[in-house]
Amino acid sequence: MKWLRTILKWCLGIFLCAWVGQYLLALVIPNLVMEILYQRGGVETDYNALFVNPRPDETMRKVVRPSPDLLYASCIFNLEQGPVVIESPVPERYWSMQFYQMNTDNFAGITNQRDQVYRIGTVVEVTLIGPDRNPGDYSGEVIQSPTQRGIMLLRASGIGDDTSARAALEKSSCRPA
Amino acid sequence: MKVLRWLAFALLTLVLSVILMVRTIGAGLGAMSVENGDWVTSTNTGSTDAGIMLKATIALGGLLASTREDSMYYRLSSVDGEPLRLNCRYLIEGDDYDANWWSITAYGWDNYLIPNKLKRYSFNNENIVRKEDGSWQIYLAAGEQHGNWLPVGSSGAPTWRKLTDYDFDLLLRLYTPGRAYLDEPQSAALPTVTLEGCA
Repeated sequence: MKWLRTILKWCLGIFLCAWVGQYLLALVIPNLVMEILYQRGGVETDYNALFVNPRPDETMRKVVRPSPDLLYASCIFNLEQGPVVIESPVPERYWSMQFYQMNTDNFAGITNQRDQVYRIGTVVEVTLIGPDRNPGDYSGEVIQSPTQRGIMLLRASGIGDDTSARAALEKSSCRPA
Repeated sequence: MKVLRWLAFALLTLVLSVILMVRTIGAGLGAMSVENGDWVTSTNTGSTDAGIMLKATIALGGLLASTREDSMYYRLSSVDGEPLRLNCRYLIEGDDYDANWWSITAYGWDNYLIPNKLKRYSFNNENIVRKEDGSWQIYLAAGEQHGNWLPVGSSGAPTWRKLTDYDFDLLLRLYTPGRAYLDEPQSAALPTVTLEGCA
């Protein structure tokens, strides 16, 4: 009977650890996936630089579920050395600039939709600063990232005539301030 | 012997953690998601309010998603409880929706676009051919169809990695969705998908 008690004890131990483990695993996954994306992105292009992606097709396997109807440009940022300035002309059709931290949280975003339609035809210039900086020290549109590293994603509608959307992304930039 | 025992303990714990996580995600998504017919959406996608299980799910199946005010995503992987299959033909019927624009995309079980000769992965409100009244139909099948044909086929990833019961799924994206989608995502107008037959 002693061996049965030992096995039961082990099973209970495994189950309890696994119960807690599932949440730890779920906590780690977003950071792990973003870290892979961050490292891969660094091979493809420099950090703090804009990369205009080709239109997604079946060969695009960098990010899951890419939209074939969107044009994408990304900037993998690292603010340890200082802020980054992102500029982008805003086309007439759907456009957005989204900021993600390393746990996948979408911590800030700018669009040309809803109450931001006034941005159409303008050039958005954002100073992205790290968590250790004081926003008051910077002028213009300032966004503070909760983490030093992350990803900025530009999306523009690629349906119909995509000439202006493509031009907007190609004229966009991401560079150290 | 003792080291081996602890190694087995760690390994079994890890395996069971993965199984429990998958189960919790499945059950939890039910609570975190909203069903509208066969379509399912999450009200917290991309948000900082998303729970750890939802964040893990998004990281694996929809990384860098937008918030729902920017775009809403409705996913469909089964029709009347039956998983989408490559040997079946489906009919998607719809109209226009209260959004700046919309698109319907087919993804393989591996979450990537499905390889096909036409390089056609989606239809949107501009490239779809409509009937006189403005409504439209899409045929979803592996074999060639007339009209709006959305081709499906084998996913690009090796089949030994397949863990899903469906062969492919659909993602409806509504960009800058109207109030009906934001306030009542469970009843807002969506396309209907019906099974026409299987080979």
